[in-house]
Amino acid sequence: MRPILSMITANLKMTVRNRQALFWNLAFPALFIILFGALLGSGGNVSITVGVAGQPSELQTKVIEAMKGSKVFKVKTGAEAAELKALSDGNRDAVLVFGPPAANGKPTTTLYYDESEGPNGEVAVSSVRQVLQAVAGGEPAVTITQKPINSTNISFIDFFVPGIIGMSLMNSGIIGLSTSFVTYRERGILRRIKVTPFPLWQFILARVLASVLISIAQALILIALGKALFGITVHGNPLVILLGIVLGALAFLAIGFAISGFSKNAETAASYANLITFPMLFLSGVFFKISDAPGWLQPITKVLPLTYSVNALRDPMTRGLGLGAIWVDLVFLAGTFVVAMVIAVRFFRWEGRAV
Amino acid sequence: MPDVTVSRRDTSHHSFEGKHSMAETSTAPAAVTTVPRAGTVAPASGPPIIELHDLVKRYGNFTAVDGVSLTVYEREIFGILGPNGAGKTTTLEMIEGLRQPDAGTIRVAGIDAVHDSEAVRRIIGVQLQTTALFDYLTSAELIALFGGLYDKETSAQRVSDLLALVGLSEKRDAKVNEMSGGQQQRLSIALALVNQPQIVFLDEPTTGLDPQARRNLWETIRGVRAAGTTVVLTTHYMEEAEYLCDRVAIMDHGQIIAMDTPAGLIRSLGMAASVQAEVMQGTLPPAALASLAAVTKADFQPESGALRLQTSNVQATLVALLDLAARHQVVLSDLRTTQANLEDVFLSLTGRKYEPGQEPEASAKPARRRRGMF
Repeated sequence: MRPILSMITANLKMTVRNRQALFWNLAFPALFIILFGALLGSGGNVSITVGVAGQPSELQTKVIEAMKGSKVFKVKTGAEAAELKALSDGNRDAVLVFGPPAANGKPTTTLYYDESEGPNGEVAVSSVRQVLQAVAGGEPAVTITQKPINSTNISFIDFFVPGIIGMSLMNSGIIGLSTSFVTYRERGILRRIKVTPFPLWQFILARVLASVLISIAQALILIALGKALFGITVHGNPLVILLGIVLGALAFLAIGFAISGFSKNAETAASYANLITFPMLFLSGVFFKISDAPGWLQPITKVLPLTYSVNALRDPMTRGLGLGAIWVDLVFLAGTFVVAMVIAVRFFRWEGRAV
Repeated sequence: MPDVTVSRRDTSHHSFEGKHSMAETSTAPAAVTTVPRAGTVAPASGPPIIELHDLVKRYGNFTAVDGVSLTVYEREIFGILGPNGAGKTTTLEMIEGLRQPDAGTIRVAGIDAVHDSEAVRRIIGVQLQTTALFDYLTSAELIALFGGLYDKETSAQRVSDLLALVGLSEKRDAKVNEMSGGQQQRLSIALALVNQPQIVFLDEPTTGLDPQARRNLWETIRGVRAAGTTVVLTTHYMEEAEYLCDRVAIMDHGQIIAMDTPAGLIRSLGMAASVQAEVMQGTLPPAALASLAAVTKADFQPESGALRLQTSNVQATLVALLDLAARHQVVLSDLRTTQANLEDVFLSLTGRKYEPGQEPEASAKPARRRRGMF
């Protein structure tokens, strides 16, 4: 055990001290989050969309008129079921349902709001209450029952962070590993290891394990950043998310390893790596939903490992889904790992040019 | 992202060191009595620890190692000397397990190195020609890492001892990319010793070092041997072989052309010294040169004007040479005499002047078959 632990520890130290690598693997994705989060916001609204439903009444009409008259409110009316669905889909900030008058003749209303919207929901609730009280003529005039519903309101930043984590896994794995190994070979490090009793396959394994550990740390840091700056909520089972991170990291590491196998030198390896990572970045749903992309692009996205990595992270993190939803993504990632490793082992040259 | 520092030692061009450092103009006595200098007497060495028999390595049509046999004894400093391309490094690599021989046997400490190279690697230490070390790790961390690769715990004391041995104590916490080429080279020797090997292989250990660093390293290597480790080194520096090695094998074109102690090799020449000069004007007939008084071998390159005469009597030859030059109205410059050395041995054995930087038939070596797209 000691030999491989020695090697893993050395790899971790080297990665952490390599400032250039740290920039590309951590600062770069963090910048994306900060930039896009600031530009596109965390979904704070200046206007409050209220759905009004339920039994028509004089009070209801007056409330609707009052809200329409205000710049703050956007009023939608419809059937109760439809409005409630719209609330859970994130298209309403609050829904006011008018019920039959109570025994004492007071109008009853139920005010639904989305608990997971956090502060936005509370603002909506108190605003609607104010209007109601005002129109009904004072607090005791109307009974308001507040009912929170739980939906996951996916803001842009919630959507974005898992994508960026996928991107950082891809860069670390593909760019990081490919250039590393070619450099090791070019500079004679592989030969130096070869003259020790330490097997080369363990040397590679140590690098891969160290990289996976670092990828996990990267992902946690990026999530913490998202939480601290933009208040994202991470749902889902942490173990499921961890599995997504690990399989994604392994798939990309294997691709990086394969590239290092048939690259003559570090520049060639970097070219291949960029050739593969750059298009993936824009076609895998990192920045926008794949379903929003043109139809002819859809099949392409289905063969890109990053697509599956992003899905495997986004579904649990934003919608709390479990293994049942992402098992296809995980299988694809595992398959990528296997195929890439086969290619890597087949093509890898331990020696450089003729000595 | 490269995370490796390398210093490539420049082995492509070298002037012959001995010529400049050992120029003497005193005449040597007529009788040849070579007093062995310190370091050329083989100390009490032990039983055989490396045995090569008829080792062969081919690359396509080119035979890099052509039937090499030799024995190295415990606790000796054994040198393999020869120009670039002679096959020294390839021979070493076969012993170390980096290359498979096409024919022949290798026994290291009783182990069949061809079939059980892992067992051999446990008991040897290796310094390769390129000092490839991991960036971002300190000297101490590298020593601990390599110790760990041999499944050995490396105590802080051991780290200090190794660093002190190669004179790098104050670089303990310096990262590799903060060290000079010479320091990196010394560190790689420390790394070769981390597992307390029975034998340490040093491939061109002082190439690229300045003369002072070179001499310091010689003393370090003697210290390593004094501690009980057998040392096998390759070099193309004649002076290094003479000073450092107990026994030397001279290789040329894949074969060993001589093997003995440096003193023994020189003694076998039967010459006392060589007389050298540059012919500035005119030319001298080779026959006349060869028949000058006491000349045992004459080498004259008309294009460069370089003249080298091996002689058993310097005074007699000098007089005869000056006379010949006067008669032919030849201007000689840079006239000097040098005590017999291994360069003369090489010349006498191969008929060629020793040119360490040349790579004979290197172009005949086929490019390694490459896989993949490039």
